[in-house]
Amino acid sequence: MKSLLKSKTFHLPDDLNATKPPEKRGVRRDHVKLMVTDRKAKSIFHDTFFHLGDYLKSGDLLILNNSRTIPAVLKANVFQRNRKVLQDVEIRLARKVSENSWDVLILDHSINEGDTLNFYNEVDAVVIERRSNSPLWNISFKCNSEKLYPFIYRYGQPIRYEYIHYPWELGYYQTTFASVPGSVELPSAGRAFSWEMLFNLQKKGIKIGYLQLHTSLSYMLEDHWPLQPQSNPEYYHVPDETMKMVEEAKLSGGRIIAVGTTVVRALETALKTNMNEGMTNLYIGPDFNLKGANGILTGFHEPEASHLDLLSAFINTHYLLDTYNQAIDRGYLWHEFGDMNLII
Amino acid sequence: MKTIVITGGAKGLGKALTLAFAKKGYNVSICGRTESALEQVQKDANNLGGNVLAVQADVSIEREVETFISLTEQKFGHIDVLINNAAILGPSPMPLLLDYDSEDFLNVLKVNVLNPFLVTKRVLPGMIQRNVGSIINLTSEAGGTGYAGWGAYGISKFAVEGLTETWADEVSTTAIRVNMVDPGSMDTHMHALAVPDRDYDLPKPEEIVDVFLFLASDESKHLTGKRFIAQTFNNGVREV
Repeated sequence: MKSLLKSKTFHLPDDLNATKPPEKRGVRRDHVKLMVTDRKAKSIFHDTFFHLGDYLKSGDLLILNNSRTIPAVLKANVFQRNRKVLQDVEIRLARKVSENSWDVLILDHSINEGDTLNFYNEVDAVVIERRSNSPLWNISFKCNSEKLYPFIYRYGQPIRYEYIHYPWELGYYQTTFASVPGSVELPSAGRAFSWEMLFNLQKKGIKIGYLQLHTSLSYMLEDHWPLQPQSNPEYYHVPDETMKMVEEAKLSGGRIIAVGTTVVRALETALKTNMNEGMTNLYIGPDFNLKGANGILTGFHEPEASHLDLLSAFINTHYLLDTYNQAIDRGYLWHEFGDMNLII
Repeated sequence: MKTIVITGGAKGLGKALTLAFAKKGYNVSICGRTESALEQVQKDANNLGGNVLAVQADVSIEREVETFISLTEQKFGHIDVLINNAAILGPSPMPLLLDYDSEDFLNVLKVNVLNPFLVTKRVLPGMIQRNVGSIINLTSEAGGTGYAGWGAYGISKFAVEGLTETWADEVSTTAIRVNMVDPGSMDTHMHALAVPDRDYDLPKPEEIVDVFLFLASDESKHLTGKRFIAQTFNNGVREV
């Protein structure tokens, strides 16, 4: 399925790609810009993210995804029948299937089932099969997780997309509160939060809850593989304590603000299925009936991203595009190092 | 089950702490730069019934801190206690500051100050989210008073004392506590580097672990931002 918004797209000028983390542009991470969209009043406010608390009230619940980014880009030599056929092929980890089994994106077309990937002369993996309706391959590492993770951390690099021209270290691809390693891409909606802000919000009576959704790859490199949430399952876990906070907020009339599409996906899956942990392939689009989130805090994403479909569950598609055009006119920055949008 | 992280856990005081906490039934995660020493301590601690993760890492390098703590979180799920024990003395015998090489000076500060900053910054978020945690920094008598001949080491420990107080204040609205311990002189390799011609007896590191067990336990949950002297510690009664 193509993004519903694809036909109603807009032009994003190159200079609005955030190529540097805010801290490297001389801006504190919590001082990026904030656009607040009040969907009922159809009004828009332009502010600084640091003032987020001005738009929230005591009893509101912010839910954050505390999944931590792992360095998911590796390089391998490819062997067919013990003969090296390819050198330094980029392998992007997409999702963990089991202890030593991963789905990965291999940046070469000549891979076959049964090929051996040799990583840095240290670890081997066997290519098991191509996933159906997906550009991903399933591979099996020939070592246990005790050896695999130290190896991934030693050699892996964070995934950096084409608008990034400098190899920012893994630390820039983390939120300040990330403490459950497992995402292959930064859950970027939470990136602008500082601990100073989180402490201040709590002082104001705003509750903070955490859940985990380990992100998979959001971009498969080729246009004929647009990302389909249905075929892109991701691991999620909503702790009981967070579920309790959701119930309490609902009872007391507090709003539930999901920080990022990952939080919407995890929370709505848990509420829909009554399963607090598992893999989710939930697709959320304009007709989706949200059971948990009353608002969303998110970054600005490219026109073709399925993220925009998810936002359409919160806000009329045409109005969303209007607000995005305003954001472009005002020079808001896009992507994981960019500015923020609160939709309430 | 409680999980404790001990940096520099393969030698000297770090090793004594690893064995003491393993014996108490903690999950223990240790790092060090020497693989063989780590393996030996891991083996010894496991023989005491412990569950020990040992990671080769230099905690003055951010990426290696990321590796060490992420592996710990993946294996044990959470961290309850952190002991920032790893430190270096610098050149031995220690020269006067007047004679101190500037690169050596910077290196001692980097290892002894940046490392507890990096590790604490990495560990605290998980602790704050659970509202549980005790952080214990290692200081020295030379971190409270400037002595000629204690070079960059003493100055780095002054910084650790400031780090401890600042961080204790920053998280004072949470249940996380941040304290420091002056272990005093012990019979360790580091002490031999500091005082090469010693002709007097010193306690073994395993004789001074009580204060650490106390600060890791719930008995100390009301204490933060404090400085303890290990060798005069008397079950929480004496505090300086």
